[in-house]
Amino acid sequence: MEEFSKYISTISLSLIITSYLVIELRNLRFSAYAYIVQAILMCSLFVIFATQNHGLYYWALTAFITKVVIIPYLLLRFIRRHSEQEFQPLIGYVGSILLITIIVLVFYRITHHYIEFVAPTPAAMAEPFRTNLAVSFTIFIMGLYCILVRRDAIKTVHGLLILENGVHLSLVSLAPLLKETALIGVVTDVVIAVYLLLYIISGVYEKFGSTDTFQLKGLRW
Amino acid sequence: MNSEILYLILVPALTGGLLYLPGKKPRVLSEGLAVVGATITFFFAARIAFLTTRGEVLTLFREEFRVDALGGLIAFLVGFIGLIVVIYSIPYIRKEIEKGVVRFGAVRFYYAWVMFFIASMLWATTTNNIIMLWVIIEATTLASVVLVAFYWNRDAVEAGYKYAMLLTVGITFALFGCVLLYSGASPHVAHGLDPLKMTEIANVAGKIPKNIALLSVVFLLVGFGTKAGIVPFHTWLPDAHAEAPTPISALLSGVMIKVGIYAVIRTVLIFYPFYSIISSLVLGLGIITMVVGVLMMFLQEDLKRFLAFCSVASMGYIVMGLGLGNYLGIYGSIFHLLNHSLMKSLAFLSVGSVIYATGCRRLSDLGGLAKSMPITAFVFWVAALALGGVPLFNGFMSEFTLFLAGVKGGHTWATVIAILVAILTLAAFVHVSYHIFMGKVPENLEQKRIQEVPIIMWGGTLILAALCFLIGIYPQVVYPILNEATKAIFAIMAVP
Repeated sequence: MEEFSKYISTISLSLIITSYLVIELRNLRFSAYAYIVQAILMCSLFVIFATQNHGLYYWALTAFITKVVIIPYLLLRFIRRHSEQEFQPLIGYVGSILLITIIVLVFYRITHHYIEFVAPTPAAMAEPFRTNLAVSFTIFIMGLYCILVRRDAIKTVHGLLILENGVHLSLVSLAPLLKETALIGVVTDVVIAVYLLLYIISGVYEKFGSTDTFQLKGLRW
Repeated sequence: MNSEILYLILVPALTGGLLYLPGKKPRVLSEGLAVVGATITFFFAARIAFLTTRGEVLTLFREEFRVDALGGLIAFLVGFIGLIVVIYSIPYIRKEIEKGVVRFGAVRFYYAWVMFFIASMLWATTTNNIIMLWVIIEATTLASVVLVAFYWNRDAVEAGYKYAMLLTVGITFALFGCVLLYSGASPHVAHGLDPLKMTEIANVAGKIPKNIALLSVVFLLVGFGTKAGIVPFHTWLPDAHAEAPTPISALLSGVMIKVGIYAVIRTVLIFYPFYSIISSLVLGLGIITMVVGVLMMFLQEDLKRFLAFCSVASMGYIVMGLGLGNYLGIYGSIFHLLNHSLMKSLAFLSVGSVIYATGCRRLSDLGGLAKSMPITAFVFWVAALALGGVPLFNGFMSEFTLFLAGVKGGHTWATVIAILVAILTLAAFVHVSYHIFMGKVPENLEQKRIQEVPIIMWGGTLILAALCFLIGIYPQVVYPILNEATKAIFAIMAVP
């Protein structure tokens, strides 16, 4: 695994950068493209890990079909039919990038340093799994940030996808022997969740005239 | 191998599939298919509950599926409430079509999603695979999203969006928790055994590193707690319960949130023998949930939101019982789970009857309905008194069990709060029931010719009311079932 550690680190860093792009790009189509790049990187990472654990080739294939093909197809089709421009978020570019950078640095540092809090086995505490786990938790928190601070409903779906990618990435270190059936179950859920969320968001667009979640204030208390 | 489990899931799933198939179907055919599917499902659920509550553990596919008394009890509730809801839906949805609120063509989709929803809940209560538990709990959300947004108006899509987004995000936390559990347990599960099985994970719970165990518990409580409507993750609940068609509200409140609790029981309670802090955390969540729920009840003008917040308060009782951690506490918790399923389904279906007859659901638009709707008034009063914890009704028996468990467990403070919440709940229900059924008929209803709902609607509510009363006056009838269900929870806990 050591001969691949350089690639693993580079791809892991790229996953964080693509999460930045998915969150910060205001054009939803470009944001979806950034998600595709992230998904391809994830598949590459699975393939590298699969050289040691052949079962992960199935994971790479499953991730490719769902995350590179189906989900982007659904997203881009929806974006084409509605608006490409993200609804003005609460926090501007500079503020958001600054805030998310602080979150990333703090969170990555904490999870990487105190890995024993998230890694259950000595193998998962050692490199390259240590970096993998720290990156997964960091991407997870970035997805949560996106969902919490963005007001565009489609952007919150992007946030959800980053969140899910964080969990899926952690499976390499936490559950490398997970059966394909369980993994297929998990990714199928994600695809259906995205499909249904976009279906509901099309209703939001139809009834409210935009995908601004700040307009969803009819039901309170 | 117990193939009943397979039929239990396949029957509603295939019925849903048949209903979903393209092609024009007469409305009666869709309704008939749904009723037949729900009836057969109920019989399988009853059969499984009968066997499991006598101490049998049913398994299938090398224990990939495993049903003990707890799973059997909840599966029975899903099958029973599911059947009542499907039958009740027939006139309810017909009326919605007459009013133009629902498209004629949407009927088959309605019943198809109801059947998928029932199938997913039944699968969740029968699986023994930790990752599949997550997959199926998420599937229950996905199957019900379309039902929550079914009316497709502004409020419905808003509720649907919040419901789908909050539950999906929340449940992603649970996925992290499940993966951590599996990962922490894997090195300790004996060779040849499957670490994905919840029973195997429970066996080695004490060997999972403390940090991992506590972190996964936090993730699981956030994830499955969101599903169960535990405060502060409950914000989807009042919106979804209020905006969904009322029969669906009965399913959401009557059984779906119980499936969330079931997942908490299966994944969090296994650590009770090793870390006492977990039960304290659960107890605290229970108390906060019941207090927030009951206080919010007083702020509601919308009847369905009122009942939704009552569900939050009731989930507080159930979680409190689990948090007490002793036998009586968990027993009381299961007892309240059973009772709440019956009482809250009854309350929602009674309110559905009021909406059906009057077209109103705001408190200020209602009044004096007892004369024109005597049966609905009677069953709503039963639900109100049962939910308010009045003696002779089932709610009293389970709440009293929880109070006793609290005092015996040395948590007198929690018991005092729970008693205060019960008093406030009763006060809220007396006020609301009096307002709807007694007093003067408001002007907006005087012009309408208000009539009692058809027998197909009140029939189901009368059965639920009879059960609330029966368990209230003769609780011994359910004691053996509750005893087996509680024993099933303790049976899979490892000894420290």
